[in-house]
Amino acid sequence: MTTLPVRIDAAETTKGAMKLLLIEDDPTTAAYIVKGLREEGHVVDHLADGRDGMVQAMAGGYDVLIVDRMLPGIDGLSLIRALRSAKVTVPAIFLTAIGGVDDRIEGLQAGGDDYLVKPFAFGELSARIAVLARRAAQPVAETVLTAGDLSMDLIARRVTRGGKTIDLLPREFALLEHLLRRKGRVQTRTMLLESVWDLSFDPQTNVVETHVSRLRAKVDKPFDRELIQTVRGAGYKIEG
Amino acid sequence: MLARLRRSLKRVAGSTPMRQAIGLVAVVAVVNLVTLGLAYVNLRKSAEEAMRANLAQHMAGFQVAASPGALEILVSAEANAADPADRVFAFVAPDGRVTGNASAALTPNGVQISPMPEGRPLSDYGYFPLIERMAGGILILGESRAPIHDLGETFLALLALSLAPTVLISLGAGAVIAGRARRRVDGIEKVLGQLSQGALEARVPADPDRQDDLARIGVQVNRMAAAQQAATEALRQVSADIAHDLKTPLQRMTVLLHDLRERLPDAGEEAAMAERAIAEAEGAVGVFHALLQIAQIEGGGARAGFAPVDLAAVAAEIADLYAPAAEEEGRRLSVSLPDGPATVIGNKGLLGQALANLIENALRHTPKGGDIEIALRREGGGTVLEVADRGPGIPAEERANVLRRLYRLERSRTTPGNGLGLALVAATAGLHGAVLSLHDNAPGLIARLTFPGGQDRAGR
Repeated sequence: MTTLPVRIDAAETTKGAMKLLLIEDDPTTAAYIVKGLREEGHVVDHLADGRDGMVQAMAGGYDVLIVDRMLPGIDGLSLIRALRSAKVTVPAIFLTAIGGVDDRIEGLQAGGDDYLVKPFAFGELSARIAVLARRAAQPVAETVLTAGDLSMDLIARRVTRGGKTIDLLPREFALLEHLLRRKGRVQTRTMLLESVWDLSFDPQTNVVETHVSRLRAKVDKPFDRELIQTVRGAGYKIEG
Repeated sequence: MLARLRRSLKRVAGSTPMRQAIGLVAVVAVVNLVTLGLAYVNLRKSAEEAMRANLAQHMAGFQVAASPGALEILVSAEANAADPADRVFAFVAPDGRVTGNASAALTPNGVQISPMPEGRPLSDYGYFPLIERMAGGILILGESRAPIHDLGETFLALLALSLAPTVLISLGAGAVIAGRARRRVDGIEKVLGQLSQGALEARVPADPDRQDDLARIGVQVNRMAAAQQAATEALRQVSADIAHDLKTPLQRMTVLLHDLRERLPDAGEEAAMAERAIAEAEGAVGVFHALLQIAQIEGGGARAGFAPVDLAAVAAEIADLYAPAAEEEGRRLSVSLPDGPATVIGNKGLLGQALANLIENALRHTPKGGDIEIALRREGGGTVLEVADRGPGIPAEERANVLRRLYRLERSRTTPGNGLGLALVAATAGLHGAVLSLHDNAPGLIARLTFPGGQDRAGR
């Protein structure tokens, strides 16, 4: 994997000169996704047929695959299963209209890396693609995470900002760690629920917002600069 | 062990072949009883007639004696030669003296025969008497009824002998057939149980060698299961199609609305309208998603992914998630857990969502500042998970209604929510073999999920 360092550079410097493959049969949804991703500066190939998509994905060179579960030719699950058994490890995110009880688990078991139920906001998809690309490119184990004058020691489980220690509850620590590990990339409410709480339903109450505002009260309020930023209509991020 | 044996005996006795065998035994018994009974009555009648003739002949032999003295001599000669257990002779002389091998006295009901002092014992079965006035006294002859009693015993033995093989053969054959049928009936019962639990691929094993009634029932069960499976599959397919066909336009609509919102300047009236439209579209998606999910849960398909779930961990996690949001509203969200894990077999995601729905209901439908208590405890071998609030509660007569889909209390029309939260909890409860019930917290509402004891029910 000699191309690895190059990809890290690409992802970090231009924040998204990624090569993406979208396999989706609905023309409107596909056009919308392609348009949005191109506006973000990615190179996007689009195919509407499962079989064609699989051949194209095998050819390689993609950073992330975006695969609809219901496709003509060969369905999304079988497509990813086939790729995985052929040792093609490129990260893949499923799009689905079904959103059944075990669909998410099914998708992940088939070898998918993430799962998004339609309809979704573009920001949600964009945020998840960014995470997947990064996850694939960065297997480095860090012990200290930093952002600006904030530093998190993962071994001592200690957080300091501007030399002052900040006391965090375990869940607040996990939330901050999650945001720090994905510095510069937006984390949506559902992404945070899935990774920090391991829950994959959509609460009708602003639970995540409340947790974030509590974290902010400790991490940002006593200081000049806001580290945790709200991205309107999408989620939260910590700028690098 | 004993209870099991009794249960299996009860099942064999209750089976159709066994009942037929018992019925056959009853018919044979009645027929034998009638024929042997008639034969016995006839034989007994002729035996009694022979006794009567015999006694009359003896009686005639005594008529030669002219005086009481002569008769006494004659009677005592005969009496000495006879065993009083077989035949008794007794002459009551005009002066009341009794001669013979038994004592006799006339009573209003007939003759009372009793043993002579120092004499030999009498028959245990009574006597057939003949009484005549003779030589101024009364001569009593009595023939023992022992032969008639023996006859009765012989016939009872005959009855038993004729019935025993029938009973043994009938019941034995019945038990064998019942045992053989029972295995097959058990198989069919097991398949029906699996089918009712949602395992629609279960089938009665086909046995081409048999063409009997059970085989035909098996074929019918399989046909029914196949039809049910096809219907469920069709429903699933239709749901998936509807989901796909409706969600795709909803997706496009959301996409367009987001796009529109991006193009509008913030804080404008148009931007607010676009945001409201987005919220409405998301609401529609929410209802749609919840309905599909309930249908899917009620279909039982999610049972395939069941695994041990620690309800204590789920409760702690969900409480942790909601605690800050509750505190923002001045509420205290308390959680009381048992020592150690409380494991049920189920779907962790659905159980977490069910608890979250109950907490959200409490948050939404009770005034700010009201505390919410989550309690998990073991009770009667099962596990109970409760969410209790201090709000206005639900009137007893409305409690069944609120579990229905899309039903909302009159006073809740203005609060957010789509009326599917509790229906989803009820469906999830049903999937896990648990029961959702609503109770009065005086004041407030207790929503209680009762999981059955033992792991087998939910897991099967």
